[in-house]
Amino acid sequence: MSYILRRLLSIALTLVLISMITFGVTNILPGDVAMMVLGTQSNPTALAGLRQTLGLNDPLALQYWRWVVGMLTGHFGNSLMFKVPIGPLLLQKMTASALIVVMSMALALACAIPLGVWSAVHRNRWQDSTAASAALLGISLPDFFWGIVMILIFARTLGWLPSSGFTDPSVNFIAALQHALLPACALGLGLMAHLTRITRSTMTGILNQEFIRVARAKGLDERTVIWRYALANAIGPVMTVAGLQVGYLFGSIIVIESLFNYTGMGWVTYQALLNRDIPLIETSVFVIATVVMLVNFLVDLLYLAVDPRLRQSR
Amino acid sequence: MMAQLDLPPIIEVSNLRVAFETDGGPVVGVKDVSFSIRPGETLCVVGESGSGKSVTSLSLMRLVEFGGGRITHGRLAFTRSNGEVIDLAQTDARTMQAIRGNEIGMIFQEPMTSLNPVFTIGRQLEDGLQKHKRLSSEAARARALELLRQVRIPEPERRLRQYPHELSGGMRQRVVIAIAMACEPRLLIADEPTTALDVTIQAEILALIDRLKRENGMAVLFITHDMAVVAQMADRVVVMHRGEVVEAGPVADIFAAPTKDYTRALLAAVPKLGEMRGKLAPERMRVIGMEPVVAISAVAAEPPAQPLLSVRHLSTRFPVRGSLLRRTVAKVHAVEDVSFSLAKGQTLSLVGESGCGKSTCGRSILRLVEAEAGEIELDGWDIRTLSVVDLRRARRDMQMVFQDPYASLNPYRRLIDQVAEPLQNFGIASGSEITDRVAALFDRVELPRNFLRRYPHELSGGQRQRVAIARALAPSPKLIVADESVSALDVSVQAQVLNLLMELQADLGISFLFISHDMAVVERVSHQVAVMYLGRVVEIGPRAAVFEDPRHPYTRSLLSAVPIADPSQRRPREDQNFRPLSSPIFPVGHSPAPSLYDEVTPGHLVLAEF
Repeated sequence: MSYILRRLLSIALTLVLISMITFGVTNILPGDVAMMVLGTQSNPTALAGLRQTLGLNDPLALQYWRWVVGMLTGHFGNSLMFKVPIGPLLLQKMTASALIVVMSMALALACAIPLGVWSAVHRNRWQDSTAASAALLGISLPDFFWGIVMILIFARTLGWLPSSGFTDPSVNFIAALQHALLPACALGLGLMAHLTRITRSTMTGILNQEFIRVARAKGLDERTVIWRYALANAIGPVMTVAGLQVGYLFGSIIVIESLFNYTGMGWVTYQALLNRDIPLIETSVFVIATVVMLVNFLVDLLYLAVDPRLRQSR
Repeated sequence: MMAQLDLPPIIEVSNLRVAFETDGGPVVGVKDVSFSIRPGETLCVVGESGSGKSVTSLSLMRLVEFGGGRITHGRLAFTRSNGEVIDLAQTDARTMQAIRGNEIGMIFQEPMTSLNPVFTIGRQLEDGLQKHKRLSSEAARARALELLRQVRIPEPERRLRQYPHELSGGMRQRVVIAIAMACEPRLLIADEPTTALDVTIQAEILALIDRLKRENGMAVLFITHDMAVVAQMADRVVVMHRGEVVEAGPVADIFAAPTKDYTRALLAAVPKLGEMRGKLAPERMRVIGMEPVVAISAVAAEPPAQPLLSVRHLSTRFPVRGSLLRRTVAKVHAVEDVSFSLAKGQTLSLVGESGCGKSTCGRSILRLVEAEAGEIELDGWDIRTLSVVDLRRARRDMQMVFQDPYASLNPYRRLIDQVAEPLQNFGIASGSEITDRVAALFDRVELPRNFLRRYPHELSGGQRQRVAIARALAPSPKLIVADESVSALDVSVQAQVLNLLMELQADLGISFLFISHDMAVVERVSHQVAVMYLGRVVEIGPRAAVFEDPRHPYTRSLLSAVPIADPSQRRPREDQNFRPLSSPIFPVGHSPAPSLYDEVTPGHLVLAEF
């Protein structure tokens, strides 16, 4: 219990740090919110007046404080380019991105765990080397390349899935899934390759442990030995790596969402950067960091649930 | 119960041959092994590492296949419970699964890793029962409880819901035995079941296996490297060497009149507790091929001169951190008010069971861990108050040899570079002088000079430990702390390394702080002995006084638990239950009573009861 409290405390501290860094960095970036609002041709008096009303002449610390208090009370401000409140905007985009991130993670895990286990069981035989080569291929090519390949095959040639666009899942869930599937696969492929390697090496170590021999000496069949006795020990480490990969996924969606013209978090962040929409940049970076951290926290809780040793020592 | 010689054997192994597929072609693990075991009989297979004894036992279970091995020849005739005789070497995988854990049970060496860390004890006991005996989960639970009672685990109901890490090593091994016994097997295979355990727990486990054998009339195949355990357990013995049976016969014959040189060498290399009775100084180990040498040195017999090392009221405590802010909530009193002195050119042994603080004590003296209180004086240096610079200088005088020669050498560096490291660090030599010095050190520890440019993986365990000793010798230290330095070695190699240490002491006048759990080895090599228990020295004195006239109850129980390598001196085999170690964890600020000693005879001190 005290472990969970300690983790929450450290998450809170990290969030404070992240908010300071994102706020600091975006304020160093060239660009002036007032000029963004009024346009480059606007008159200096109006600019100065707007700066005054927006509080841009106040000390940075005060501006930071206002931003943080705003977020805590649910006031995220308005996006300069979309001219809408940031809160609802990011909520919608985050839902869209969460759909492809969750799908790609689910697909990656669903393939990586059986493949990794299979490689570990057939260690150093053809099954293993085939899986290893495939994984290397998956890791070495960047995910947008896989995205292009998939568009060519499944959208252009076969016509099974749309090549771009986004549907809100609350409007049409099936269509939303169809739009999300290709980006999710493109993201999931590299992830799967990575997780396959992790599963393989974790399982290889576990299969060499004495308790596996004891399980076999009990007369348990191989299916039970591998899929129950061994895998139960591998889940924790594999999930931890998968959790860390969520951060990498949120980096990758910037490219992938632009490629598929999928208007999610990555796409909106990229647009905000292009258009110097400073409030939107600040908040979206902060939101992504928060989500990544919470996911990792959940993974640690999961690890705690599967491994009794951690429950005691913490 | 005597072995029932009139009954047909439960297992009859003839001409077993096992090969392993490797990148360099097939390697034969077992060449030609035959033996049989009858109901109620214990057959001990004894041999050093690489003798093929474990491969033999794994072959009987057909588990050897999971390690890349294959039975290429031979017959493993096993009499099943229905009377049918089958050849296990030819049995299909399904039938083997029905036999494993059901008609043949197996116990392994490492209790700490033998149980699945993420499943409860109950589940691990029950799943075999549910599979083989088709018991309902309630019936399996009831039987699991009964098994835990049978192996005398306290509070069995609670244990079923616990996870392996919540149990001590001795208790885990009892659970592993309970798992092996669950379906009342006809044959129990025990592969080094007590090697990783302390002597008192070893005595308990050996007695337990013996009782279960007598109660159930099983056949027992007992694999070990330890001649003393053989002497205590076996009805018959098979001695293995390099995959072949060297000698086989009843235990009394093997010990009394071994017919083969190898058996004789093996028996000779085993130190026997009590054989140093009446002797003044440490003696060389017997290594066959070398004449027994009388006294090791003249230095040894002299009365201790000025102490080289004196330790006064040393206490080392480790913080236990907890709660939200990682504050220290309690302290482990690893070393508690320990005092002793070690004379130049002598050996003081710290003995005790795991967790008694003997290693921490050695490390505290070298300041590898920081002590909390006390004084350490080494040859004029006040070790505890030294600055970083002076400590570095002082470390020239004190070196350490660790237990595991596989882990204490860097696998990526040539041996010459590793042994040269202290020479360079202390600026003792430079340039070509280094090579000469290292070569001389290799001569000193009897390693061939062509090993200089090799890497650790090319050497055997004993050779690696010699490298570690050469490295410790490099800065010409006055004190060497040897922490379980021979525990991981085969007996014949252990004997050679011990002899090397004793020669070095005689020639160079080095003092050894010898940390060990092995009472027989300690008796052989020590001038002074300190017995540690729960962080304190409970008894200290000249070797003869402590071994021949032990006064503290803990010293006595420790000595009585040591198996003796002589089948005519078997210990009574009723169940033994030693009192478990109590916890050395105390709240912060707790100041335990000082260690006060009664002097029995001059220099022989026994901790007073408090």
